[in-house]
Amino acid sequence: MPKNKRAPKNPALNKANGCALLAVVVVVIGIGAAMCGIAGVFMLLNNDASATPAPQTATLDLAYSPEKDALMQDLVARFNKANYKTPSGLPMKINATKLDAADIVEQARAGKFTAINPDSSLWLAQIDAGLDRPLVGEATRFAVTPVVIAMWNEVAQVLGHPQKQIGWKDLLTKARSDPNFKWSHPSTSSASGLLATLAEFYAGANKTRNLTEDDLQNRATLDYVAALEKTVRYYGEGEAATIDQVLKSGRSYLDAFIVSEQMVIYFNTKSAQKLVAIYPVEGTLWQDHPLALLEQPTLTNDQRLTYRRLRDFLLASETQKLILQAGYRPVDLNLRLDDPASPIKTANGVDPAQPQTTLQMPNPAIIEQVQAVWYLAKRPANIYLIADTSGSMGEQNKLTQAVDALNTFLDQVQGDRDRVGLVPFSNRVYNAVAPQDVSKQRAALKTQVSGLRASGQTALLDAVQYAYDDLQKRNERDRINAILVMTDGIENSSQTNLNALAQKIKRTNQTGVPVVIFCIGYGNDADWNVLNTLAETTGGFARRADPETIRKLYKILSTYF
Amino acid sequence: MNRTRLIFFAVVLLALLIVGVSFLLSQISGSVPNPTAQPISVRVVSALPIEPWVQDAAQKFNAEKRTLDGRTIVVSVTPMDSVTALGKWDRGEFNPVPTAWIPDSRYLVELVNATQSEKLGRDIFLTDGEYRARPLVTSLFAWGIYKSRFDTLEKKFGQGNVNWKTVHDAAIAKGGWPELGGDPKWGYFKLIVPNPNKNAAGLLAMVSAAGEYYDKASIATEDVTNPKFQAWLKELMGAVTDFSSLSSYTVEDLALFGSSVGDGGQLLESDLLVNMSGIQTRWADPLVIVYPKYLTWFDFPFTIWMGPETSAAEKNAAIQFEKFLLSAPLQTLAAQRGFRPANAEVSIATADSLFVKWQGQGAKPKVESPARMRSPDRDTLQALRRWFDLNIKGR
Repeated sequence: MPKNKRAPKNPALNKANGCALLAVVVVVIGIGAAMCGIAGVFMLLNNDASATPAPQTATLDLAYSPEKDALMQDLVARFNKANYKTPSGLPMKINATKLDAADIVEQARAGKFTAINPDSSLWLAQIDAGLDRPLVGEATRFAVTPVVIAMWNEVAQVLGHPQKQIGWKDLLTKARSDPNFKWSHPSTSSASGLLATLAEFYAGANKTRNLTEDDLQNRATLDYVAALEKTVRYYGEGEAATIDQVLKSGRSYLDAFIVSEQMVIYFNTKSAQKLVAIYPVEGTLWQDHPLALLEQPTLTNDQRLTYRRLRDFLLASETQKLILQAGYRPVDLNLRLDDPASPIKTANGVDPAQPQTTLQMPNPAIIEQVQAVWYLAKRPANIYLIADTSGSMGEQNKLTQAVDALNTFLDQVQGDRDRVGLVPFSNRVYNAVAPQDVSKQRAALKTQVSGLRASGQTALLDAVQYAYDDLQKRNERDRINAILVMTDGIENSSQTNLNALAQKIKRTNQTGVPVVIFCIGYGNDADWNVLNTLAETTGGFARRADPETIRKLYKILSTYF
Repeated sequence: MNRTRLIFFAVVLLALLIVGVSFLLSQISGSVPNPTAQPISVRVVSALPIEPWVQDAAQKFNAEKRTLDGRTIVVSVTPMDSVTALGKWDRGEFNPVPTAWIPDSRYLVELVNATQSEKLGRDIFLTDGEYRARPLVTSLFAWGIYKSRFDTLEKKFGQGNVNWKTVHDAAIAKGGWPELGGDPKWGYFKLIVPNPNKNAAGLLAMVSAAGEYYDKASIATEDVTNPKFQAWLKELMGAVTDFSSLSSYTVEDLALFGSSVGDGGQLLESDLLVNMSGIQTRWADPLVIVYPKYLTWFDFPFTIWMGPETSAAEKNAAIQFEKFLLSAPLQTLAAQRGFRPANAEVSIATADSLFVKWQGQGAKPKVESPARMRSPDRDTLQALRRWFDLNIKGR
């Protein structure tokens, strides 16, 4: 057999080889398919893992304080309209919410909002107080404004303006010596309210700096502050609410009140009557309107970029000009305050060269104590709750909602200083309960409220008159006297009429005990003409019964008394 | 086909299948990284006074699309007060770890090194070699005082006598400005000192005050714990209006709020110079600059983190950015912001320089001072901060 000669082909062997080849190919394809399957599963797992963590959003949830509502609405609208985008293509948007500075602090600490813009940076320290890791991150400011005492020019002249520099002590002395002098400051949930209270403590302690905890606990200082707070006509929900009320009611409403400078400009550009801004000689406080990023655990890098874009937008020259036109002092120092086009001028009742000096800002712990003491020092209240139990209140759960709101209110009334009474009505007033210390009759009132049933007509004005007359009869001038009306319907059963009652209230509020009326309207049938007239005649408010108003009813009302 | 060929054929087929499947998957997912295409990220944490200049420089640098070994370098800048950054370094809170840090002063680098040496047994920021900390620009602390107040103080205490001791005397004047010969409208004397927990300048202001109190350029722990000095310092700090202020740049406070919040303070010269014009636009009273006897300097060193978190490519890319910052055009921009350039090619004695422009208000292109305050050690600084927290922060 020659070497290398191929052996003849064996069909059986060839067949066996073919089978083996087929088997190998099948096995290889099988392994390949299995690998594809495993790889695919890994890919899916990986994709899932990468998709889970950070939500892809660049929207910034911003809370701002209410006194700059108009400005912020305008600026946020302009920013959102500009359609800025992150490098990854996400739209940079601002979702803005108006909120009291004190509420901003509370909700920021509870994990809400990714950016804030309160009226003063003093709130930033309160947000971080006691936290292991600061929540407040990058911060800047884009506008500043001093807090002033707004007065009618003739009132200021009586106090010696402009020859004499007027201060907190002049205001406070006037308030204590003249029972007809009507002044107000916002509650301590805004920087201007806090400053006014702080100024009272400084004046009580006879200091302008180094206010200590001992000063706050000193009996003589506390008596001074308590006596002063008894002269406050009205607190209000904030500067904007006060200015709106003064615009509506004019000169007779208040003689002096504490607001930021740009509110005086706003008023003077809207009204024929003129206010003048007094920069207190002992010193004032600046609102510096910080824009701060909150380092919430959910904060995304894209939201951080939106914050920085907003910061740059607010600091841009064109925006700064808008800020000046709104009456704020812009941080762009190239813009002159004494420019003819600037609204910060004597013709608007303000002085760009003021203020000359400031009060010393105490540490956050003392500020908190000032807030706490203010709640105790301010005037206690007589509050009449007027509950509409006419037949229509039985529809759409309105009475149930009103009962819940009244019970919530009764739960929230604090301490044993405020007195609460109840006036249920339908065709007429029935089962009325006179105001007593709430601690003594909270349970009884809640039982009576829970037992209210709907039937009959709506004698709303008679019920208001009943409560009003009783408060006048009581004649407790050292208390704030208020009426809270809850109704859904149209007045159709009273002996008196709206004009007669409104005239009577207007007249008696000047000579007798001032009473403030607040109205909460249920459903679409509430007579807003009646409710608004009652509220506006007395400096109160009329609002729809939305859940937020009901939830915070006592807190909102307590800023008025 | 024999068995060997069959096996060979099967192995080749399997290999082709694996390569094919891998290729297919990579095309679908796009997840296979290509290291050479990734940009090199240089993350810089910058002290606040210098940050606008560094930020501006980073934008210019990024726009030039500079590369290293074929990879684009991308610089990002995070503003952060040096005291805050110091705490983050100490607690290991940076995530991701910055490639480079530009603190206010070299002494802050030494403080971080002191902590890291205890953990790692070596410095984490180098003081020599290619990656050593290099000053980018300098600025010193000078008195910035409203002219009306400065004139009144000089009249009261004598010409050339505005210093920490006379400022202390003004601070404790019970009758405020009227007692010092000033206008009653000015109220009490108000001093500007940044909060030392938020701003390194606040800490150095206290060091500077200690230097003049003891009349020496080096301060030790026993000096700042001396009860007599502490009582004196407490009286001085009692004249500060607000430690809760948002601003870390207190000259900005002087400009925005005028003399209502501060009659003056010892502040960073660069901040004073850039705000001089704005102060004159907004307030009738101009600011005066006065140089103290003992000079405290900020040198803004560019320092590279030498930990394992920073790759060699990132370190070298950071060096490129550092060289860019030290280049004459960038140093000229720094001078326009009131800083003294580290690059000797750039002069601040030119006609358009802020140092020349504000010479009439006291600015000096060249400061001749006999003494330079030395950086205190960590224990001394900690003792000062502790004293502040216990005595002033909670006032």
